This record gives sequence, C-alpha cells and structure tokens, in this order.
Amino acid sequence: MKKSKWVLFLVSALILGLLLISGCANGQNSGQANANNTIKFGGSSTLAPILAKCADDFTEEFKTWQNVDSNLPDEPIVIFVSTGGSGFGVKSALDGTFDFGMVTRDLSADEEVSFSDGTIVQLGSDVLDVAVNYENPLTKVKTDLSIEEIISIFSGEINSWSELDETLPERPIVVAVRDLGGGASIVFDDAIMKGTPISTGALQLPSMGALGGKIMDNADTIGYVSSGLVNQNPDKLIPLSVDGIAPTIENINSGKYNISRPLLLVSPQTPDKYQAAFINYLKSDKGLKVVEDLGYVAVGQ
Amino acid sequence: MSLKENLIRIFFFSIAIVSALLLVFILFFILKESGAIWAQVGIINFLTKSTWQPMATPPQFSILPMLVSTLWVAFGALVIAIPFGFACAIFLAEFAPAALARLIRPVLNMLTGIPSVVYGFLGATVLIKYLEVSFDLASGESLFAASLVLALMVLPFIIANSENALRSVAQEYRQASIALGVSKQYTAIRILVPLAIKGMLGAVILAFGRAIGETMAVLMLAGNTLTIPFSWFAKGEPLPALIALELGSATPGTSHYQALFATGFVLILIVIMVNLSINLFLWHWQRGL
Repeated sequence: MKKSKWVLFLVSALILGLLLISGCANGQNSGQANANNTIKFGGSSTLAPILAKCADDFTEEFKTWQNVDSNLPDEPIVIFVSTGGSGFGVKSALDGTFDFGMVTRDLSADEEVSFSDGTIVQLGSDVLDVAVNYENPLTKVKTDLSIEEIISIFSGEINSWSELDETLPERPIVVAVRDLGGGASIVFDDAIMKGTPISTGALQLPSMGALGGKIMDNADTIGYVSSGLVNQNPDKLIPLSVDGIAPTIENINSGKYNISRPLLLVSPQTPDKYQAAFINYLKSDKGLKVVEDLGYVAVGQ
Repeated sequence: MSLKENLIRIFFFSIAIVSALLLVFILFFILKESGAIWAQVGIINFLTKSTWQPMATPPQFSILPMLVSTLWVAFGALVIAIPFGFACAIFLAEFAPAALARLIRPVLNMLTGIPSVVYGFLGATVLIKYLEVSFDLASGESLFAASLVLALMVLPFIIANSENALRSVAQEYRQASIALGVSKQYTAIRILVPLAIKGMLGAVILAFGRAIGETMAVLMLAGNTLTIPFSWFAKGEPLPALIALELGSATPGTSHYQALFATGFVLILIVIMVNLSINLFLWHWQRGL
C-alpha cells in the first residue's frame, strides 16, 4: 500500500510537470506563428465596432488578398479585432501582441515618441456633448452654459437646479459620467474640468449607451454623451453650448468646439503591403461612412 | 489493486491537485500584478481612507467606500433572501404536495441559469424607474436596488441547497414525530431545521460568495458613486463594479492597474475569510454539541 502511494504521487507529479511544460511550449509557439497575411487589432472598445464592421465589409467584398491588389498572393483575408481599452492597445501594439493598437485618446508625449517611426492613423473623432433630458426645464431657460457653470455642476459645488438659475425648480442635479480614467472622462477633464475632481456623488455609468439612456430616462440628469448618440436621439437628448459654442459639425471641424478625442490606430512599425491595403480601405469613403454611421465624426479627407 | 484502478486514481488525484493549485496560482498572480502598490499606498491607507482618485496627481487609492458598499449590498441581499429562501425550502421539503414541488423545482433551477447581465438590465430598466417614480427620487440607483436584484439571484441557491439539507435528515425523526402525535409544523421548525441547520448555513455561505462577487448586476444598479454609503438607500460602488468599470482603461503596469488588482485581492480574501470562519464556527459548534 505504501509503495502504491509513492507511485501515485510520482505519476501525478509527472502529469503535472508535463502539463506545465506543454503550457510553456504552447506559449512560445503562438508567439512565433504569426502568419503575416493576418492583421490583428486590439485596444479601445470604442474603436472595436468600427474596425469589426469595416473588417467584415472588407472580407465580404474581396474574400482574398489577390482581389484587393493583384500583386498580393491568393490567400484568404483574416482580420482579428479584440478589445481591452486604449491603454491595453498601446501596450500590445508595442510588445507585438497586435499589429495595431486601437487608441481613443490623445497619445502622451512618450507614446508619441514610441510610434513616431511607425504608424499613427486618425480615422475620426469622438465628440462629447454636454446634454440634458428634453423635459429638463433648463432647455427653456438657456441652452448655453459657461465653463465655470459646467465645472461647478460636475464638481458637485452646486447640487440643485435652482442654484444654477433662480427660475429653475429646486430639484437635485443628477450628474452622470463615465468611469474615471476611461477615455471619455479624460477628454472631459482635459477640455473642461482641468484637474478639478468630479463630484464623488456623480453616477458612473459602465457604457456610453447606458449614460445616454440615463439622461433620456431621467429629467434631472446632466452628463456628457457621444455626439453620435445625440444625433440618433435628437428629440430626447438636448445638447448644450459651451461658452456660446454649439457642438455643430462646423465648430468641431474648425476646432472651436474642443471636447473631443481622436480615434487612432497606432503601430511601432510602418505597415506592410497587406496592412497598407486595409488602412487605405479604412480611410476610403466606405470606411469613413462606417465611422459616421456608428455615431462619430469622420476625419476630413 | 489493479493497474486500471491505479490509473484512474492517479488521473482524478491529478485533477484534484490541479484545481487546488489553480486557486494558489490565481492568488499568486493577482498579488504579483498588484505589485508595488501595497508598499506605495500602505495596507492600512488602502483599506481605511476614502479617496479614490486614479487620475489625480498624485493619484490616491483607498477603497473604504467600495468596501462598505460591497458589504452593504451582499448582506442586504442575504437579509432579503434568507427568510424567503428558508421558508420556501421548508415548504418544498415538508409541506408542498409532490406534484407542486415537481413543478416549482425545475423553475427555480432555471432561474439560476439566467445570465446576470439580464437581471441587471431588467433592474436598470424596470426597478430603477419604478423607484424613481414611486418614491420621487432624483435617481433610483441605490445599494437597495442592487441588493433586491441580488437577492433574487441568490434565492434559488439558498432554496435548492437548504431543501437538500432538510431532505437528508433521517426519516426516523419524522416517523417518531408522527408516532408521538407532534404537529407537522412543530416537527419541521423545531426538529428538522435544527438538524439540517449546518447544510442550510452552507447554502447561505454559497449565496454570500455569489452575492459579494457578482459584478454585472451591481454595476448597472448601484450607481457607482465614490462616497461612503451610510444608508441602504444611498448609492455606492461595490468592489467588483469598481474593477469592471476601470480595468479596461487602466494601462497595465501603472499604479492604477496595480491598485485594481489589489482590490481584486481584497475581494478574494474577504470571500475566503468568510468561508473559513463559518467552517471553523460550525466545527466548534458540532464539537460542543
């Protein structure tokens, strides 16, 4: 009996060891087996739907690389898109996990340097509107807030609509924001708050859709939402001007309205011929139409 | 012992070891990812201060508000679910006609299969709006809303496991009760429940573990504010919601990322500690009897 216990232990250890070794070996293989006719994108969850839609259309239209460009071999088109946030996009582009990182915020100076010899492609911008519910009495009094007023609302300095304007009812202001540290909240901080902390009583919503939905459902809510959502729900979300500048296409393109973030693809390498072909497609009318359809402002050609 | 038997033993023994090792590796990995944050912030500061500002300079990481929210939500859910759960289990095990029990049981089991995001979505669209309209609240998100939906989610676990515990009490007790002319109600409450209480508490622990780690539903219902909640009807941000909200945008390797992993470590420790302490308590209790 004692002997059989030893055998049991030894064989178990052997199996475990084999499992561990095979795990390591797999890891090494997958690092090398990077077929160069597939393109992998990873990063921001804002850009992922755009890339996924474009990749679908692209594969559907051409099927093989040869149909895209007769110089390319007759191989099927394979494009992977996965999400994990802008920070993850930058990191995985640098360490080669993905060919391109999807980033939806301004690059830091360090990051700018890392990608300066490679590729930085802007597909468009995500513009944030400060918006309220269509039933909010504020829309009848004024549709323009100064930056100071916005800061005092979002920092929790004033808590009631009557403090903003005497004619407004004495109802609490419900401030709705995205998660602190996420792309949208950084844009808002850079353009408006400039380091003033958001009120600790602000509701943090897990997605832009939920944030827009909260404002549409609740008459006391104010928040920042993607301009695309406002365009899709013009009756329910009322965008406010900031310091007299309305979030119109003209003001956005001229840079007057600056609560926005770029939609970027980054890579430390210059694109190879496959990647260049797909990026040209993204920047064509077809690609930019997808950007607009999904609620963002496409980059001017 | 034949070779075949030995092989089978070895196979299952290995699997058991691998799954036990998995827990160790997960703990180790999370500790490793949280890395320098423990020294940087200090365990005491991390757990007892109330400012969470990952984007400030310097960033501040303290999770007391989330810790309090987590406990509010989880215990709140148990407070709602336990009376209903136990009552329902006793009814199903002792009083329900067999046909009715056969009908209810699969329905309850199906409840466990509903994805939590569906519960969260229902809560966000129906419950939140209901609370806003009927209590004239500025916004309906609250720890109470999260507890209520969590209670619904853990109820099937409590019922199924408690019912099993009650059913596994030996048949002799029931026969003796009948022979002595004791009422069925007295038998169930005073004799069967005390005998099955260990299994019923086990059901509660399972429910607690699920409630405290549940992410999607609380993320959509608790409001995710960074203040310390002093009431059940305040808003708060439980630990899993914090991790789910911010991990996507935290750059790996930054102190923000490490702080989120440290938060995950705290969450796992809470669950393990609750499990261990209840087990110890039951062990002492049994020896005392």
